[in-house]
Amino acid sequence: MHDALLKAVRMMQKNGAEFCDARSQIIKNIDIRSVNGDIRHLSDKTVGGVCLRAWMNGRWGYYTTTFLDDIHEAAATAVKNASGYPRERIELNVKEIKSKRTQNVKIHPDNADMKEKVNAVLDVDSSQVRDKILNRIGAYGEEVSKNILINSVGSEIEWEEVRTRFRAMSVASDGKKMERYYGGPDGTCGFELVKSIDIEALGRSVADEAILTLKAKRPPSGSMTVITDPMVSGLLAHEVMGHASEADEVVKKRSFLSDAVGKKVASDVISMYDNGTVDKAHGTILYDDEGTPASNTCIIENGVYKGYMHTLESASLMNSEPTGNGRAENFGKRIWARMTNTFFGPGDRTLDDIIADTKHGILCDKMVNGMEDPVGGGFEAKVLRGFLIKNGKITNMLRSFTLTGRALEILRTTDAATKNVEFDGGMCGKGIEDWVNVSSGGPYCRSDIIVGGG
Amino acid sequence: MNIHDIAADALRHAKEMEHAECYVIESLTHSAYIDGSRISNVETKIDSGMSVRVAKNNKLGRACVTLNNKDPTEKCVRSAIRVSSFSPKNNMFKGYPLPSRPSVKADVFDKKINDIDERELKSILSSVIGACKAEIPRGSVRLSTIRSVVANSNGLLTEHESTMVYAHFTSMFRGKRNGEGTGSVHGAFLNIDAEHIGEELERKAKASASAIPFKGKETLTMILPPCELGDMIMSSAGSALNGENVFYKRSPWTDMVGKKVASDILTLTDDPNVPGPLCSAFDDEGTPSQKKVLIENGILNGYINDSFIGNSTGNGMRRNSEDAQNIYSSGVTIKPMNMIVRSGRCSCDDMIEQTKNGILVEKFAWPEADPLTGRFGLEVRCGHIIRNGKITDTINNALLMGNMFDALAHIEFIGNDAVNQGCITTPTMSFSGVKLAGN
Repeated sequence: MHDALLKAVRMMQKNGAEFCDARSQIIKNIDIRSVNGDIRHLSDKTVGGVCLRAWMNGRWGYYTTTFLDDIHEAAATAVKNASGYPRERIELNVKEIKSKRTQNVKIHPDNADMKEKVNAVLDVDSSQVRDKILNRIGAYGEEVSKNILINSVGSEIEWEEVRTRFRAMSVASDGKKMERYYGGPDGTCGFELVKSIDIEALGRSVADEAILTLKAKRPPSGSMTVITDPMVSGLLAHEVMGHASEADEVVKKRSFLSDAVGKKVASDVISMYDNGTVDKAHGTILYDDEGTPASNTCIIENGVYKGYMHTLESASLMNSEPTGNGRAENFGKRIWARMTNTFFGPGDRTLDDIIADTKHGILCDKMVNGMEDPVGGGFEAKVLRGFLIKNGKITNMLRSFTLTGRALEILRTTDAATKNVEFDGGMCGKGIEDWVNVSSGGPYCRSDIIVGGG
Repeated sequence: MNIHDIAADALRHAKEMEHAECYVIESLTHSAYIDGSRISNVETKIDSGMSVRVAKNNKLGRACVTLNNKDPTEKCVRSAIRVSSFSPKNNMFKGYPLPSRPSVKADVFDKKINDIDERELKSILSSVIGACKAEIPRGSVRLSTIRSVVANSNGLLTEHESTMVYAHFTSMFRGKRNGEGTGSVHGAFLNIDAEHIGEELERKAKASASAIPFKGKETLTMILPPCELGDMIMSSAGSALNGENVFYKRSPWTDMVGKKVASDILTLTDDPNVPGPLCSAFDDEGTPSQKKVLIENGILNGYINDSFIGNSTGNGMRRNSEDAQNIYSSGVTIKPMNMIVRSGRCSCDDMIEQTKNGILVEKFAWPEADPLTGRFGLEVRCGHIIRNGKITDTINNALLMGNMFDALAHIEFIGNDAVNQGCITTPTMSFSGVKLAGN
């Protein structure tokens, strides 16, 4: 493959590309999912192919294929796709890298016993058995991605990424209503992730919490003091501040954070980072899909806005350095500025301490999902459940609710954060597609946010 | 090898298994993007892959591979057999579909899409840009040609050929506050009305820029246009009608056939005869598709199933309406081909006129109800407040809260402006009794 990619790069150069790269990728997944003790999905997936990219006249031309049988045609098509009415001439700032790296995992998924993977799923499923549990779900997923990138400045990079996730989810019913609860770890790890947890305890706890949620009350609505847990803090960091800090949105001035560098955008309590090098976090990468090494980008420091996440193109347009955020869902998709591990930095309080000095508020417990709003800076986060706080004490459990408001208004009210930062892995879309592995996180944070529930 | 030969070859390699099925698909996609009101990336994407499912002694396994080397078939079959050996017995499995004659003739192939070149693609985007006097920071159009084959050890062999159009745009109008509009196109034919899309994007962005934060709380009627309603119906009724959710009793409509689940005026049909991007004579397991009335005048008639759940209604799907790439890597899920809400007689303007207190939602952050409970609490990014039959304000920064199953039982009006949103076609509808809360 190396030779074919090199040949493709030379052909694209010969056809007039100002800069070009050729990338091959093979992604191998094992997915196992059980429902009520039956293995519902057990699959072995291998997806692979090649992406040729030509930069010319200020735009990209792509050619992607699963089978690079005609390199001449492929290279010519990529360059032709970049042709047309010239935009401004922009020279990309690309450094030559020659490297071969693999992620440091203890038990590579290829070396773990498939029977053990299946048993782990069945064990977490069976440990959820309770009278009121309608559905017991266990899930295991592993992904090994092998990449080769060659470009026209002479870079030749090979790297492998490994990810593992393990989940339990219970659906509880009392005959009238249904509620659910979930949990489980993920990360850029091998099978040691599963071996490191108490599988039965995970299943039992998820089932018990789902049953408890059946008694949850309807949440209040209106503007309230809200203590976001690390998942929901991460959602606020990721969906609003993160997406709006992707430099391709800033170049177009679509982001409400365009021209924000140096300005105070949040309270002193808030610092925020996108760090693709966090050890074992789900969004950690070795290189982005343009061959730029992962880095730690400080986005907000003590409330002051610092900078953006870049691709090669956005870095050149903004006279900045690439940050290792040029990512694509896979070889067949476009590269955008994307996040890796995005999180708020730690504060100096404990959770008990913050709850104790909250007169009337809500404590969040796990997220459902959220949606970006780079133009308006609006925040929407669906929260799985929460707890009402009255006079410094946790009282009733609350069923699912939604948080909303203007991100900058919310972050200006943040007055407390805990010492510990936690991460939660997942998939992030750019708008409504182009899914990449990320994580988001933060400490528990206390802010004023609009709350509402159905 | 062509896709027929690959499927036949896979079945030969899987002879040791009691049951085997091979799905092979190839696609060609032309796509182009708008970035900052200018055409940027142009892409040509060639994709092909296969998925093999096998079963022996009720132990099931699945594998899929990209067709990126000269002999992927045996590797794929061996992987499926290998993983099946680790599977415990699944007594629900009754085998893959038997050969059957089609009852639907779904013609969803447009030669113009198959033959399009990058100049025509750019010209579509240029027309959208030209018709929109607001900015278009981001947009894309994707035109795909798909060919697939399903073959199984029962002697079933079906083939499918279709074209698919998907486009999505965001617009932005700069004012005191920037406003954003969005628009999307789902379809099977190259009949993109670029001028209309551009004008709508401009109108939505300007409306959003003029919105003011909503204050207070009230109970009112919500009017949802097709672009916001499609996902609300799919995440509630679509999920409740899904045979897998019914089997595992997590559908709130379990054991409700013959009972009232919605307003009398709601009739919901899955009809592959009405062209949509997913319509085909057979589903992606090879079961003939069929027209099914799922809810008739508010009464639940039945559910949609795949072969695993049993009594397949021809709704075992791997394809989606947005993207032709990597379809072979998707497992079979139960999905309507084209779920159609029977249209009413009134226009959206008529609905507004007959609404005392209401909100016409232009844009949610993300339209979605909880599939288990139907509950929703959605951020309104742009909505028009209605007082005594007239739009009085345009608002944002508010939460609209309710329960979609309750809403379906309290439909006030169904419009006459149905639009396909992928696997659902719905007109504008209005629902009473939802709550709106602002700061």
